[in-house]
Amino acid sequence: MSMLELKSVLAKKFAECISNYTLKNSNELYIEVDSPATYDICSYIYQELGYPLISMFAADEKQLINSYAVYYVFADRQESLLLIVKTMVKPDEMEITSLSKIIPAADLYEREIKDLFGINPLGHPNPKRLVFHSNWPDGKYPLRKEFNLKQKLDFVQEKISFQKVEGKGVYEIPVGPVHAGIIEPGHFRFSVAGEPIINLEAQLFYVHKGLEKLCEGQSIEKCFYIAERISGDETFTNSLAYCQAIEKIAGITVPQRAQYTRVIFAELERLTSHLGDLGGICLDTGYGFATFQFRMMRGWAYNLADELCGMRFLRSVNKPGGIRKDFMVGKKSILLKYLQKIKKELEDTVDIIKSHSMFIDRVENTGILKPKIAADLNAVGPGGRASGQCNDVRKSFPYAVYDKLEFEIPKHYNGDVNCRMNTKIEECFTSISLMIQAIENMPEGKILEPVTKVEPYRFAFGMTEAPRGENIHWIMTGEHNSIYRYKIRTPSFCNWPALCHAVNGNIVPDFPLINKSFNLSYAGNDL
Amino acid sequence: MNNVIYILVQIVVILAVAPLVNGINRKVKALSQKRKGAPPWQMYFDLYKLLKKNTVVSNVSSWVFKAAPYIVFATALAGALLVPVTSKLAGSHIPGDFILLIYILALGRFFMMAAALDTGSTFGGMGSSREAMISSLIEPSILVSLFTLGLIARSFSLPEIIMSVQNTGIPLSNPVYIMVFLAMVIVLIAEACRIPVDDPSTHLELTMIHEAMILEYSGRHLAFMEYGAAVKQLIFMTLLVNIFLPTDQFITLSGLLAVVLSLIMYVLKIIVVAMVIAMIEIKTVKLRLFSIPNLAALAFILAFLGILQYFILGGGYA
Repeated sequence: MSMLELKSVLAKKFAECISNYTLKNSNELYIEVDSPATYDICSYIYQELGYPLISMFAADEKQLINSYAVYYVFADRQESLLLIVKTMVKPDEMEITSLSKIIPAADLYEREIKDLFGINPLGHPNPKRLVFHSNWPDGKYPLRKEFNLKQKLDFVQEKISFQKVEGKGVYEIPVGPVHAGIIEPGHFRFSVAGEPIINLEAQLFYVHKGLEKLCEGQSIEKCFYIAERISGDETFTNSLAYCQAIEKIAGITVPQRAQYTRVIFAELERLTSHLGDLGGICLDTGYGFATFQFRMMRGWAYNLADELCGMRFLRSVNKPGGIRKDFMVGKKSILLKYLQKIKKELEDTVDIIKSHSMFIDRVENTGILKPKIAADLNAVGPGGRASGQCNDVRKSFPYAVYDKLEFEIPKHYNGDVNCRMNTKIEECFTSISLMIQAIENMPEGKILEPVTKVEPYRFAFGMTEAPRGENIHWIMTGEHNSIYRYKIRTPSFCNWPALCHAVNGNIVPDFPLINKSFNLSYAGNDL
Repeated sequence: MNNVIYILVQIVVILAVAPLVNGINRKVKALSQKRKGAPPWQMYFDLYKLLKKNTVVSNVSSWVFKAAPYIVFATALAGALLVPVTSKLAGSHIPGDFILLIYILALGRFFMMAAALDTGSTFGGMGSSREAMISSLIEPSILVSLFTLGLIARSFSLPEIIMSVQNTGIPLSNPVYIMVFLAMVIVLIAEACRIPVDDPSTHLELTMIHEAMILEYSGRHLAFMEYGAAVKQLIFMTLLVNIFLPTDQFITLSGLLAVVLSLIMYVLKIIVVAMVIAMIEIKTVKLRLFSIPNLAALAFILAFLGILQYFILGGGYA
């Protein structure tokens, strides 16, 4: 459905409830909705139009409109269209009607909004705290503008409760938050009957740093560095999403050469990340040889990043408006050399692991995420694509120059570890091919169109396909080139609940393997 | 006097060689992964370091937790006395047959599992239950295998079994021995907690079996636990090399020189077997926990075919 058709459909059906239609940045349609009608309109959009809820967030707009605003972001991935339902929440009401019962993906967003803004989702099936654990005092909502970041809060002693599974022989295994490997913290509460897992509840947000609050009031230059540090292994993609949002607000067209360079770095980051994941999958099955093959290739990819920009983790490559330096001058031969080396080694290794029957036996039918659940939870990235959710921001909302490059999105339907692994393997080859296409077609020219002044109270989405999936940043600018509200929704936030579903019915010793096949970020989720 | 020498030789050789096996195993694996790896004698340093360290003991644990490392080590060492490393001293061995060996090791295993439950930690219980499952699955295979050998040798004493195979030429040319040998290899892998049954190098507690049981141990206690496990592993390897790959019959010398020569051969064979085990670990991946019964069943079938063939072939080789 095109933008105009959509507008007329909505206008016909909900004429009196929708007060305002605004089209921003060519594909973001904002509709302002009276709060009593929000539930009906959102359920209509979700159920009748079939648009998934891809993000949902609130903003404290008391300075502007004397109320809080809640944004429900729906996406039409075929038409590259974002439909944003905006509803006001008056400071003396602070309630919304929960959508979780009809839109399962809304569950976590509503709990997040409740913790950060104190907006209560009425009728929520599981209104447990999400961002803050029970030691956070009541009535403190950090994303309200009046919340003082410098204050010291009381520590509340309270017992953490988990979903209870009862029955003969059922017991709980608490794992974490501190784990044996060098990984981030997260608590997993397994309810098991012997080895099979009945239920898994993940308690995350141990590394909640208050990034969104920290960004508020910062200059757009400074905020860039925070965006880059959201999650260590998604540096480039997060900085790119940030830059794209700022560029849209500033109305800047980024020079072509910078766009091609961005593709190369974004794909290099994906390649590195996927190679690490593949190594992890092999490690968790005790396949030492393949593990170290993938680690070696990942090392090459890091070395390549170092050769290209002097930084293995791709920091400070981007800049709002383009890239900092013309990194690709004279780098074509070294890039191609590395990519050929990685490609050959990858082909050989994949041949070996795919013909290893014991290994395939481990990954096949382990941790199945059913397509229906994946769709309901809006599972994104390789985790979603392995379960029939064939969406990729590079295709559905093309950015940089992805619309000029040729590539295919892998499709798998079984949703097991094997499918996720194959998705990642195929994407590694896609990334290599995209990098080669980008360097071959890269034009000469400018690399930066500087962002000087941005208008206050403008907003835009910056979307990228992170290695882990759909990455959505929403920025509203404030006065004097500052950030008024910065909402980050990383792919990990969508996929953690999917992981908990994929684990059910498997046995405890297979959990690390399933977990590794998703390889979600804790920092990127906890923010 | 002869017994004293025998016991001394057994203890010294077993204790000296046991850590080397792990070292060689890790070195071979490292080389397969394009790594240099630690030197083969790394485990000696590790044990020395751990023995110097203090132990941290949970204050909710009982005496079982503190006693278990010594019991595990002591039972392993006692088991080692029943498996002669060289037959050149075998005229003077201490009484006891392979049934005693199996169950003396089971005693150590029992205390290890009890100690893992004792602290009430998350992973200890999981380790214990998995260990109990695997050991009960693998026990029939080892018993049937050794019974077969005992029937051929007409004795359940391991020194006599080892002596008897030396008179049979090349044991591995005999179908009975081949079946039993393959069963014993699987038993060795399971008992030594090697891939594909268990992954000794994993950091993932949820997948661990043996490692999960000793997670709570530190310092001296950990040293004894690890040393005990290494000795137990070496016992099974000794059985394997001395029964199926006998070389002592080629040593025609006598006296001290024969013993030394025999021991050198023994160490070389152990090194070869350690490398072969490492190769098996490299070539396989860890089985799904619920597939381990299939492997145990395979071991049992092989052992059972061995004993069947013994009866069909009429007294095996003899």
